[in-house]
Amino acid sequence: MKTQKMKKFGAAFIALVLSFGLSSNASALDKGEKVPDFSLPGKQGAVKLSDKAGSLIYLDFWASWCGPCRQSFPWMNEMQAKYKAKGLQVVAVNLDARTDDAMKFLAQNHADFTVAFDSKGQTPRVFGVKGMPTSFLIDRNGMVLMQHVGFKHADSEDIEKQIQSALEGK
Amino acid sequence: MFHELNDMRKQRELCQNRKASVLGALLASAAMLLPLANLVYADAAPEKGMVGIKYLNYHDSQTGDTPLTAGMSRDRIDVNALSFMGMVPIDGKWTIAGTFIEDSVTGASPAYHGWGFPAETASGASGDLRHAGDLNVTRYFSRGTLTLGTSYSEESDYKSLGCSLNGTLSTESKNTTLSLGTALNSDTIDLDRDTVVGGKRNPDPGRKTVFSGLLGVTRVVAQNDIMQMTMTMTHGYGYYSDPYKDPDIRPGHRNMFTFMTRWNHHFEGPNGTARLSYRYYSDSFGIKGHTFDAEYVQPLSNDWQITPLVRYYSQSAADFYVPTGSDPLVMTPTTGMAHYSEDQRLSAFGALSFGIKISKEFGDEWLADVKYEHSQQCYDWGINGKGDPGIPTFNMRAIQIGVSRKF
Amino acid sequence: MKSIRGCMKPWLLFFMLTCAFSGCASVQPWEKQNLAKPEMTFEGDRLDTGYTEHIYSSKEASSGGSGVGGGGCGCN
Repeated sequence: MKTQKMKKFGAAFIALVLSFGLSSNASALDKGEKVPDFSLPGKQGAVKLSDKAGSLIYLDFWASWCGPCRQSFPWMNEMQAKYKAKGLQVVAVNLDARTDDAMKFLAQNHADFTVAFDSKGQTPRVFGVKGMPTSFLIDRNGMVLMQHVGFKHADSEDIEKQIQSALEGK
Repeated sequence: MFHELNDMRKQRELCQNRKASVLGALLASAAMLLPLANLVYADAAPEKGMVGIKYLNYHDSQTGDTPLTAGMSRDRIDVNALSFMGMVPIDGKWTIAGTFIEDSVTGASPAYHGWGFPAETASGASGDLRHAGDLNVTRYFSRGTLTLGTSYSEESDYKSLGCSLNGTLSTESKNTTLSLGTALNSDTIDLDRDTVVGGKRNPDPGRKTVFSGLLGVTRVVAQNDIMQMTMTMTHGYGYYSDPYKDPDIRPGHRNMFTFMTRWNHHFEGPNGTARLSYRYYSDSFGIKGHTFDAEYVQPLSNDWQITPLVRYYSQSAADFYVPTGSDPLVMTPTTGMAHYSEDQRLSAFGALSFGIKISKEFGDEWLADVKYEHSQQCYDWGINGKGDPGIPTFNMRAIQIGVSRKF
Repeated sequence: MKSIRGCMKPWLLFFMLTCAFSGCASVQPWEKQNLAKPEMTFEGDRLDTGYTEHIYSSKEASSGGSGVGGGGCGCN
């Protein structure tokens, strides 16, 4: 009786673990893939990604309620200031359902880079965003160089190195 | 060079249900190649550390409010406690968290049913002063956590040591999380004391060992709904009797099973959150319990928050509970029984609690809160009819005042 | 004497599994604005929970349910 119960329990547990491994239906843009274009309302007029072709683009998907996103803002300001002359453009797409929330956030967190608003969440679906924030480094030909989920200071150094090598290796 | 967004979307929608995607090369899964990174805020290591302190004042009493229990009204126990907590994130991947509590108990508990109070001294298993603490180390992974914990509790007559291992594993979407946990506790009860009832006094301490295992699933159901189901099994053996109750001889082991369901729902309109839970409890003493908890968190202007709460609890009696006889002031004879107890906590009853918590945030760093909770236990409030009418109504109230700071 | 095995009914496990992997509409990472609120998580004020669970488990026969580990107490 006991062993039978334990077997049932064990089988159910294995099934549970297996289904975790298989439940991924992900399709995020991978390195070397071409990015889709988009046109979104921005802080200063429409933001069209293809208008920035020829620049190295750091594309960031963020929301006002996401803690690591808040932490990434000073760093994105720094990157934009440091590498603007060399051809880096930071584009941050806000995904708040209520753009008002994003405006409040921007009033407190200064952004020295391009900000666009996608309150319907169309672009993150196409880019396969898996967490908040998610960023893509896109080369001058519109190809994905890097995808990164989350934001931690430990990771930001690594991303900066990738920006530097992308700017130098053109 | 750039594709048009709308075309991409249409194409993706068309082939979403097919394994072979037209966009194959373009939108191949990159997920497996991702480095370990925090995918989602909620499961990521906290960005900030925290310290907190909380004071508790607790008072309970019993009321003889039926003809049978008339004259049994009296105060019972007072507790004053102070607790501290701290949590420090390390390197974005680890946290160390700990709590420490000191409480002091005064007053007296009945030795049987609602009567048999010792003279004006502290009594019951709760000594004058108790210290307890725990320490947990958590490692955060991209799709899970692992926590190693230790705990201790010490009072003049009782010592408990414990360790635990808990893990969580999430799906890539972070919408489903599996929890697994196990814990071991080892307790020592000093029986060589004047306050221990005569027949139980023993130079050798009583010992108890308790194993627990947990399996849980947390699931994001919708944008405003999250559910959790947890099963816990506990197996313990050793000294389960109460050294200060008489008559009271309990079985030498106790198996417990709980099934807990929790559901949180956010209301967009008022921006409030309802938090509901139900717990089913069953043990080898023959006790079945049902606990319903509901609270509603309402943020107000200027960073104030108000949380009213209600709780209903019902339990059946232990198989070996011996009820009161015609006079509740007199203990019931237990001759010839292998196991018996006249502890009112093993009788059938129902309890209803109401409470309110008010908190205010000061900036992003400071939080202060006050909570008041009142609860009443009645022998005839249980789900399955009446309990023991010789047990007086039991009342308790707790006041908590706390401050915490993030850094 | 009752056994704990009698309580662990298979339907419970089945219920948990079906609920966990049912075809609930998947919520996207950028749609978790409300789920990100502290009150929507199952962790609360640790010290409050500590006091409250301690009080009720010392006055009622039922205990536990929300986790394993943590301090024991002599409030038998």
